[in-house]
Amino acid sequence: MSQSFLRIQQLDKRFGQDQILKNITLDLSEGKTLSLIGASGSGKTTLLKIIAGLESADQGEIYLREKQINALLPQQRKIIYLYQDALLFPHLSAFENIAFGLKLQKAKNITTQVNAMLDKLGMKDQGHKMPNQLSGGQKQRIAFGRALVIQPQLLLLDEPFGALDPEIRTHMQKLFKTLVSSQNLSAIFVTHDLKEAIIIGDNIAKIEQGSLIQYDSKKAFYQDEKSGVNDEILFWKHLKNETNED
Amino acid sequence: MMSKVLKYIYVLAVVFPLVFLLGLSLAQQWQFPEILPQQWTFQHWGKSLFQEGDILKSLFLSLGLSLTLASLVSVLAFFISKFIAYSKYRQIYMRLTLVPYILSPVVLAVIFQYYFTLANLSGNFIGVLIAQLFFALPFGIVIFNNFWNNKLKSIEQLSFTLGASSRQSLLKVIIPLSKPAIVLCFFQSFLVSWFEYGLTQFIGLGKVKTLTVMVFNFINEANLFYAALACVLLVLPPIVLLYMNKKVLILAR
Repeated sequence: MSQSFLRIQQLDKRFGQDQILKNITLDLSEGKTLSLIGASGSGKTTLLKIIAGLESADQGEIYLREKQINALLPQQRKIIYLYQDALLFPHLSAFENIAFGLKLQKAKNITTQVNAMLDKLGMKDQGHKMPNQLSGGQKQRIAFGRALVIQPQLLLLDEPFGALDPEIRTHMQKLFKTLVSSQNLSAIFVTHDLKEAIIIGDNIAKIEQGSLIQYDSKKAFYQDEKSGVNDEILFWKHLKNETNED
Repeated sequence: MMSKVLKYIYVLAVVFPLVFLLGLSLAQQWQFPEILPQQWTFQHWGKSLFQEGDILKSLFLSLGLSLTLASLVSVLAFFISKFIAYSKYRQIYMRLTLVPYILSPVVLAVIFQYYFTLANLSGNFIGVLIAQLFFALPFGIVIFNNFWNNKLKSIEQLSFTLGASSRQSLLKVIIPLSKPAIVLCFFQSFLVSWFEYGLTQFIGLGKVKTLTVMVFNFINEANLFYAALACVLLVLPPIVLLYMNKKVLILAR
């Protein structure tokens, strides 16, 4: 196993009387994607926001490239948190949305970089369009481009394809895999969908009532009775048998 | 057809009072049952704008007061409402914000009068501005209240993770997005101040002669021609602002 890129140790978070996260320990290797599954309200979003610096932990340490980042502001972490909603800046065009982070960095050759990103996203001729002129899938692609163009250290995705229809969702999953591997990015991908978690993730973790279980391998995940994989397999086998009987 | 009729009725409802007031301000003699004035004159306009200049002075005083108040309210309400919206005590703060509306502006003025006299704020521009601020600021906060929502908070947080500082996020994301709310707040606060009479008269002790105060004075004196002249000047800035407001909102969209 390669060296730990992101390491979280004994992290706790409470909101009033409710303990949202309990003793969370997590490891992520460089260039890998961790799929994080769990029911609604299990603490997935809170964990991602703590890693991004948008929420603070009550206890515990977060290390990125072996450097503790607990005290760093979100602006200093180079960790991008992507929401289910693409959240494009509505007053900026697709091109300007992608260029946003580059302009803040006062980067050189912004136009070339943005055009190259639009090309990668398959939206070469759409840069002039305003967000309200784009479809849901196109908006999500621009949101990806806006995040990836500034070469973040880590990408946090909170059910980014949850609102897309199945066909576009499949396309976006492929695009995500391609973009992440081409930039050797590390990512944590939150999803409700077991199939999506397996397709996207190199590793899988699960949050249940604030506690996190990280599986050593995908096989270990499949073998866990509580993972829901066996129930899924049984459902499809049952359906197949029924179809054959008909 | 119906919409055309309604449009004409609307235009007539706006234009007729203006034309009527303008006619009255240019009349020297207009007795019942004459439909039009028997004698016309520019004397009232010349006297009040150029010779004595009292109405012109009031116009600029009103403009200064209303523009200052509208600017102050727009800026303060923007930041205070943001603080309230993201506070866990939002409900309590919003209830407190509505307290000035339980009392009328004049009752509010009676309560403040003692303290304004102590602070030497009675009878001057600053005093009237502060008094109007007490009333207009909560109004601005109410206007902005629904603007701050979870989506906007997420957009702001996203800009932070993209590397924007709080200042950059404010200037490049939040203010451009809040342009319609800022324009609305500015316009409404301007109108609150522009047409305010009771509070201005009470705290201003009659020394701060805004255009609205002048109109009431002319009416009390039964000086119809000058009251009409002041009224014409009183309705013009809101119409100009309404036009600009519409333009800015269309551009913002």
